[in-house]
Amino acid sequence: MAIAAKFIQQGTETTAQATPNNESERELAGSAILCEALMREGVEILFGYPGGAIMPFYDSLTSYPALHHVLVRHEQAAAHAADGYSRATGKAGVCVATSGPGATNLVTGLATAFMDSIPLVAITGQVASHFIGRDAFQETDVIGVTQPITKHNFLVRSADEVAAVVHEAFRVAQSGRPGPVLIDIPKDVLLGKATYRPSASRTSSEQMEAIQPTGISEYVAAQAVRLIAQAQRPLIMAGHGIILGNAYNELRVFAEKTTIPVITTLLGLSAFSDTHPLHLGMPGMHGPAHVNRAIGDADLIIAVGMRFDDRVTGKVAGFAPNAQIIHIDIDPSEMHKVKVATLPIVADAKVALATLAKAVAATSKHAWLSEIRSWETETRTRQQQIKHNEEYPDPTGILSAIYDATDGDAIIVSDVGQNQMWTARFYQWTRQNSHITSGGLGTMGFALPAAMGVKMGVPDAPVWAIAGDGGIQMNIQELATLRQEGVAVKVAIMNNGYLGMVRQWQQFFHSRNYSETPMTGPDYTLLAAAYGLTGIRVTRRDEVAGAIKRAMETEGTVIIDFVIEAEANVYPMVAPGSAITSMIEETESV
Amino acid sequence: MMSTTTERSGQMAIPQGTEQAHTLVVLIHDRPGAVDRVVGLLRRRRANMQTIILGRSTQADVVRVTIGIDDSQVSVDQLVEQLRKIVDVVEVTNLAAQEAITRELALIKINATGSQVQEILDYGQRFAAHIIEVTTETVTLEIVSSEDQIEHLLEGVTSYGVREIARSGNISIARGKNA
Repeated sequence: MAIAAKFIQQGTETTAQATPNNESERELAGSAILCEALMREGVEILFGYPGGAIMPFYDSLTSYPALHHVLVRHEQAAAHAADGYSRATGKAGVCVATSGPGATNLVTGLATAFMDSIPLVAITGQVASHFIGRDAFQETDVIGVTQPITKHNFLVRSADEVAAVVHEAFRVAQSGRPGPVLIDIPKDVLLGKATYRPSASRTSSEQMEAIQPTGISEYVAAQAVRLIAQAQRPLIMAGHGIILGNAYNELRVFAEKTTIPVITTLLGLSAFSDTHPLHLGMPGMHGPAHVNRAIGDADLIIAVGMRFDDRVTGKVAGFAPNAQIIHIDIDPSEMHKVKVATLPIVADAKVALATLAKAVAATSKHAWLSEIRSWETETRTRQQQIKHNEEYPDPTGILSAIYDATDGDAIIVSDVGQNQMWTARFYQWTRQNSHITSGGLGTMGFALPAAMGVKMGVPDAPVWAIAGDGGIQMNIQELATLRQEGVAVKVAIMNNGYLGMVRQWQQFFHSRNYSETPMTGPDYTLLAAAYGLTGIRVTRRDEVAGAIKRAMETEGTVIIDFVIEAEANVYPMVAPGSAITSMIEETESV
Repeated sequence: MMSTTTERSGQMAIPQGTEQAHTLVVLIHDRPGAVDRVVGLLRRRRANMQTIILGRSTQADVVRVTIGIDDSQVSVDQLVEQLRKIVDVVEVTNLAAQEAITRELALIKINATGSQVQEILDYGQRFAAHIIEVTTETVTLEIVSSEDQIEHLLEGVTSYGVREIARSGNISIARGKNA
């Protein structure tokens, strides 16, 4: 509907402006130059919300129908949607907001992207230059506010600067370790005229062509080869860097040649297929016992594109106490930050793994792998003996049913809390880059808007948002955007009537003092209907598969409200501050 | 000026008392917000900052920031890498004490009447300090020296009564021919 409205407005003014022309040099307003520069950057979609200071941009936008603007219902969702779009497509995501409250609403989304190294470009309107510092209406020092949560930010001083700043922003966001960049543009700069010369500034991709990916020297490779050859119990820990650096094949080739088992961190899930015989699982606080035990017993850890987050390491002194560490990361400031690396390698994951794969000799570490597998079988046998409630839909079953219904082809966007850990653990990650979640910041309310961005970036893939009944209520307003844009996201709510993860901690560490965790929500079927969408409520385990099938067959966005067991827990669990090898396991008495 | 080794997760092995004085020379582009980014990072990453000086450098659009930090070697190395990631930062050098020539300027206003003025002048000359103002009640000394020498000078004049001290903080330059 939004698109239709745009075309109607445009009907009479089809101008030469509509397509960027690299040859021409002409006088344009800052707002039009902004659109031209976005077009040159290959931007197809922007998530945003208009307001006073940014209005000149919205005025120009109608002359650029190729820039598809999605009107979100809250600026936080614009940032998350751009984030989801970026994670799914590998391109920079773009979000737009006005000054003051519009810009501050982006903050959570920027912080989320910053923690997970996601290339975003956020464009905010600012009060006119002569008002800055005068406490003007809707003025906020957005440069100051976003400084610690952006890779860089720009205050544009004149219309002449706009194009160069936009290209520079896209370069900073996408090069090296990616991250969000904010461009703050005062209203007078948007309205001001300047001569636009496309040839005067190079686009981010033109700038980046000149940058060689950081490789590794022969000397360093030789040291790595020596450490690998000496190791009896080596592990690869693959993180987000594999996905961001598109190093899937290099990782697989390296792992297969050395037969070293592969652990994928939360953000590394789907970087290496779960069905691969060398794949072990996720490490850390909610990782399966055999993975954490393997880390405890390892004599070499090859960490690639991961940063030893505290949810991965637990008590640092107890993490891989017997292992030497080869740490490969593109960001030099990650070296020795948490674990002192035996061999730090500052390099692009793709280049480094390709070099190492070539340099190492083919080996067989099967004895080590079968030892780990025997621990896995042990745990599984013990778990199978535990009697579970069979009546309620169970999270494990819901996730495998989604996998089955989509032939593993879906992209899964999880929220934060128990739903996130169940998703990480029990979905089978076979499609590359199919797992999307807010890992570092742990942002509730991420899943729904991010899933919208994912679906708009990869329209052919089935996209599922998995959220708890807490998180889904944090950005629920985006159902209206999904409806208006006609975007089909399937939403699975794991509804236990609690803020489940906090409740689980209260159960384990605060004597079941369920302080402010029981919560109610709306009737999601009625809510869906109110937004013009379809809602399904599932209260019995035998209805799960049918409901998922129905959701897949129904056009548009569908919400399934899975009423799960109220006090279901995520097992196993490492208590905060403990070594990851000491885990709380599920027992009969629950 | 607290002096404990800042505890950081993952670096628990660093024993207390291993902090040392480090001088970071950070060259940054002279752009709005650039200084803010450097200072903000030092705060966020819990740098135990003692002094910070801003001044011009050899290039017109580059500001030289000299930062004195007391911390363990590994923590300072971390800060250096973090600083290098700031887009406005051109270059970061961690000058070890023995490799650096370090100077501070201090202006010291001391109570002095009659013959005390000459006493203070004589005493100051041992430190190459000189009097830059004399009033009926005070003399003001100027000294450019190392932090230690300034402390020494101060010890010698406390008995007269020190009204005010203005200290610039340290600036440093590498020894030898290299920039």
